[in-house]
Amino acid sequence: MAAAPGSPAHRAAKSCKKQRTVKRQTGIYTYQEPPHSNSDDDTGEEKAESHDPEQIFQNIQYQKEIMSNIRCRPWPMRQKLRALRQAKEIVLKYEGRLTRTRGYQAAGAELWKKFIRLAYNFVVIFIPWEMRIKKIESHFGSGVASYFIFLRWLFGINIVLTIMTGAFVVLPELLAGAPFGSTVSKTIPKEHIASAQDLDTIWSLGGYLQYSVLFYGYYGRDRKIGKAGYRLPLAYFLVGMAVFAYSFIILLKKMAKNSRMSLASASDENYTFCWRLFCAWDYLIGNPEAAESKAAAIVNSIREAILEEQEKKKSKNLAVTISLRIIANILVLLSLAGSIYIIYFVVDRSQRLERTKKELTLWEKNEVSVVVSLITMIAPSAFELVAALEMYHPRTTLRFQLARVLVLYLGNLYSLIIALLDKVDSMSVTDSDVNNNASNSTTSLATNTLSKDNNLTIPGVQIKRNGFVTIEEHHTQGLTVSDSLVNQTISFNTQNPQDQCWETYVGQEMLKLSIIDMIFTVASILLIDFFRGLCVRYLSDCWCWDLESKFPEYGEFKIAENVLHLVYNQGMIWMGAFFSPCLPAFNVLKLIGLMYLRSWAVLTCNVPHQQVFRASRSNNFYLAMLLFMLFLCMLPTIFAIARYKPSLSCGPFSGQEKIYDIVSETIQNDFPTWFNTVITYISSPVVVLPALLLLFMLIYYLQSIARSLKFTNNQLRMKIQTERTEDKKKVVQMAVARIQNLDANDKRPEQETDIISQESSVRSSTPRKNGSVLNFESPVSKGTRIQTISQSVPQAVPSTDVVRPANATPTTSTSLTAAPSVSSVQKPRNDHITNRYPSVVHRSASELCKTKPYTPVTFKKPTEDVHSDPLFRKAIRQVNSDALGAGAPVLLGCRPYATRYFLVNENESHKKSLRSASRFQRHFRKEESGDIIELYPRHVRRYVVQTPRQMYSPHPSEDEEDEEELEREFMNRSHRPHSLSDLRPAPRFYIGDRTDGHILMSKDLARVHYKSWDDGFELDLDRHPYVYKKVHLNYPEPRVKPKSKQKLEQSLTESDSISIESSSDPQNSSNDQYIQVIHTKEKYPKSGAKLTKKKSKNSVDLSMSEPNELVCSNV
Amino acid sequence: MHGRYHEMAPNVVPMDYTKDPDVKLPMQLIINMPELKENPFKERIVSSFSEDGEGSLSFNDFVDMFSVLSEMAPRELKAIYAFKIYDFNTDNFICKADLEKTLNKLTREELTEEEITLVCEKVIEEADMDGDGKLGFADFENMISKAPDFLRYYFKKRVSCTLAGIF
Repeated sequence: MAAAPGSPAHRAAKSCKKQRTVKRQTGIYTYQEPPHSNSDDDTGEEKAESHDPEQIFQNIQYQKEIMSNIRCRPWPMRQKLRALRQAKEIVLKYEGRLTRTRGYQAAGAELWKKFIRLAYNFVVIFIPWEMRIKKIESHFGSGVASYFIFLRWLFGINIVLTIMTGAFVVLPELLAGAPFGSTVSKTIPKEHIASAQDLDTIWSLGGYLQYSVLFYGYYGRDRKIGKAGYRLPLAYFLVGMAVFAYSFIILLKKMAKNSRMSLASASDENYTFCWRLFCAWDYLIGNPEAAESKAAAIVNSIREAILEEQEKKKSKNLAVTISLRIIANILVLLSLAGSIYIIYFVVDRSQRLERTKKELTLWEKNEVSVVVSLITMIAPSAFELVAALEMYHPRTTLRFQLARVLVLYLGNLYSLIIALLDKVDSMSVTDSDVNNNASNSTTSLATNTLSKDNNLTIPGVQIKRNGFVTIEEHHTQGLTVSDSLVNQTISFNTQNPQDQCWETYVGQEMLKLSIIDMIFTVASILLIDFFRGLCVRYLSDCWCWDLESKFPEYGEFKIAENVLHLVYNQGMIWMGAFFSPCLPAFNVLKLIGLMYLRSWAVLTCNVPHQQVFRASRSNNFYLAMLLFMLFLCMLPTIFAIARYKPSLSCGPFSGQEKIYDIVSETIQNDFPTWFNTVITYISSPVVVLPALLLLFMLIYYLQSIARSLKFTNNQLRMKIQTERTEDKKKVVQMAVARIQNLDANDKRPEQETDIISQESSVRSSTPRKNGSVLNFESPVSKGTRIQTISQSVPQAVPSTDVVRPANATPTTSTSLTAAPSVSSVQKPRNDHITNRYPSVVHRSASELCKTKPYTPVTFKKPTEDVHSDPLFRKAIRQVNSDALGAGAPVLLGCRPYATRYFLVNENESHKKSLRSASRFQRHFRKEESGDIIELYPRHVRRYVVQTPRQMYSPHPSEDEEDEEELEREFMNRSHRPHSLSDLRPAPRFYIGDRTDGHILMSKDLARVHYKSWDDGFELDLDRHPYVYKKVHLNYPEPRVKPKSKQKLEQSLTESDSISIESSSDPQNSSNDQYIQVIHTKEKYPKSGAKLTKKKSKNSVDLSMSEPNELVCSNV
Repeated sequence: MHGRYHEMAPNVVPMDYTKDPDVKLPMQLIINMPELKENPFKERIVSSFSEDGEGSLSFNDFVDMFSVLSEMAPRELKAIYAFKIYDFNTDNFICKADLEKTLNKLTREELTEEEITLVCEKVIEEADMDGDGKLGFADFENMISKAPDFLRYYFKKRVSCTLAGIF
């Protein structure tokens, strides 16, 4: 695995010190491996040769990093395990040297993490229905599962509501309240006691149920109950309010969380097709049927997208569809109005029936709720039919459908509650009359007539089931005999208080509605899903068409409608919770039943909806509906509480003017007086108005902040977008440039091949490849190249500065090459890099032949050695053998490969300098005819400069800037080539076998090579400044090695800076090392004796070093 | 985890893994797991996790697969493997041929030729940043990172619980 000694990249990521040690210590072995980039492989090697504590520390840090994010690495598991083991080992081994405590801390953290994980796993067991939901999810995808998760969430809310009401209202009443039958409001009237246990009475929630904790009427009116003095009425009121408050808070919290999530992932729809393709499959699906329908859904969605795409091009001027949509909307409105009217009518009729008939049939009793439930069941299907008319986009259709169904549900609930409140209205009116009568037990005739009149004016609203008859009687008689009327009224009064409890009535109705709704849901699941499924599955074999795929099919699981149904259900609960404290408890049971039934039905006989509504957990749509529902359901309750007088004879608030009076009363009576005064102050307009104002201001402020944030958000998004498009453009440009270069490359080798007949077979593949890579990174035109060069000179003031731009540029170049696939294709990129190296060298070599043939040779040879390219070697040798004779012609042709042959030549025989010198001349002559004159001055200038410098700067500590300037001056002066005579000294150095000469040669030669190499580069049209700089950058480093002893701070700083720069970019650093080693190799064979000499001869070395530095800085 | 691995081929896989035996299960067994059975890319999933590229998984690969598919795996990791999965010819690019294969697998070859080509063109047009006519990983990751429900559709919970103990 990765523990291979390679990965200089990773090493590069270490410190600069590290870098240096590597430089010093590494022999060739580092370079046996191609420069791997990046952390692709890696880890635990780093045997940390040095014992520098900081380095060890860094190593440990690094290994820890590996350990911490090993899960995030795309390695095979085996590799991961090994890496982890290794990293742990290393950390253990070295950490002891530094600190153990840190290790203990880490161990503790690890232990804690493990414990948390265990606890989490344990807790998962207790999440209700977790496994069931997962199972559904795995069969039907997350769309269906989201319904169940929503259901579970609602279940949780209802549990809390149940606990609230149960603990603070129901239980105290049961434990400490007056027992059943003790008071009037808690006893069943005598007339009803006989039928109190009848099924239909129970069914209509009368009888015993009516006089139980289920409903408002049962709760006692005593201000304090039990020994502890529990204030039940106050608790009742507060809990009623707390139910709403809690629901609001939890809903808003959830919504805020969701919207944060969805906002975070909100993005512009740029990738419709991509997402539909790559993100379409639900990886959770494990059921063949679900898979099939999912595939169908994907087909649908893709077709849809295609259609949409085509739709965009088309203009929508279809009058037919518009008219159809108008018709459809009218139809929907009509049906909505119709359903509302029907409900109102039914409520009205039931009231009339109650008035006219003594005994109501079962149907008549439950008419209202049955009708409401029927409408809620049928109307959505009708809407669906209507929606087909509209020909909207399926998603829009779904939205419309949902909105309509929601409106329908709301309309139903509202018409019901309004009808009920109407009734309550009339009830309370009669109540008040009756109470008037009752209170004035000494009834005067006037009041009697008044009450009578009242009764007469509103006969229709007297809906008491049993009291009705008496009133009717009283009507007939009351006109004549007033005394009897009074008696009657009194008797009536004593009889009826329990029945007049409108709160109980509303609660009853709501509970009834809920029950009926549950029954209908169960029935529909059984009928529509289960039996249909059964029929379809078992009858399809003996039927004349395929039942499974044609007409009845299997029932679909309509997520959206089902979720809406849940919302509706919850709305009913909220509406009735105040009047029937046990409603949440009932709802809990209902939801549990629903959970099991639905999940069973889904798993056995449903198929997922074809057009899956993407209802993720982070989707706020359901929650928004729920919130809407909550608000609208809260309104009637609040209205009833604020508007109506509580029933006189039942419930905890009887006798009060308004229900909320209980609060003020409690404050007045049970709190200290100062609190009372405080409250009065607070509630006075003086405080309330400013507070309201402040609130408004706060809202406005927050909103404006939100708006501005949104604005900046949009701006940032725009910025990103433009940047992205710019990136796109850039990349496209690069691609174009690359293509051009490729073309150019293809041409060049062709020209060459015919001349180099022998080598071509071996080499033809490599140069082309290399060339392409090189061109890859050099899309810059000639003109710009020259510019950059001229810039680089002034930049190159101190050596560090030289390094920096040089370092920076290769980075960009590499990034450019790798741009199409930055992080993904590490391996290929590595190949590129490895290839690039030889390519650079080759190219340079090939170029060199034009300017200065000899110099590159020394440089090149080691390079090849390092690369250990056997093919190349062979080729070179081959050339070598016969090129000795054929050297000249090759040179004349200025073929790139000629150089290669020289190089071998040179390497093998140092003494063949004479020939080389001659070649030199010829070559230059040759070049003069060429068109690259501007390169000459530099080249020559080098030589001119060289001599003065040796005299000029005997001290290594000399400020290089001065020299730099000087050199520049020289450069300016010496534009024209000084002719070949100037050039000769260089070869002469080489020829000279004396010690001085030798040293000079080795040194200068390298420099000269460099020069020439650069020049050679410049010759090339595509030559890239980056490459040029890179080369130049690398030059200074060799200097460090042979002279590490003599070199003073300068070299140190320089190398430091280099490594600092390089550490930032692993790629780059690898380059550094690479070339640097080439140099050392180059040096070693030649300077065996030279090194010893150097030590003795400091002066010479110093003088040597100067020019070297200058060269590097100058370039 | 190992239980699952074991039960697929009880006679091949030893219960005792302390000696680190070199056992591999062929792809045919793996793709019949209920988690993968219906997945149109099951072969790709398995083979992109197998070390030998043939599709047979050692236990390590098996664990690896589920750790990536699990809920807890980071998004980047998922993206890397998703890219591998969609890259049918393993050339490190999602080219048109890959897209066509993906589409055909996904839709069970229900789309017509024109539709497929249209979709492929659209996909490349949308996601291809460098204009080379195919999707590199950078393109893919960029695209996938903006998808709203990529993560959600790409995990398995059950396995993650058992897997958590390994690291």
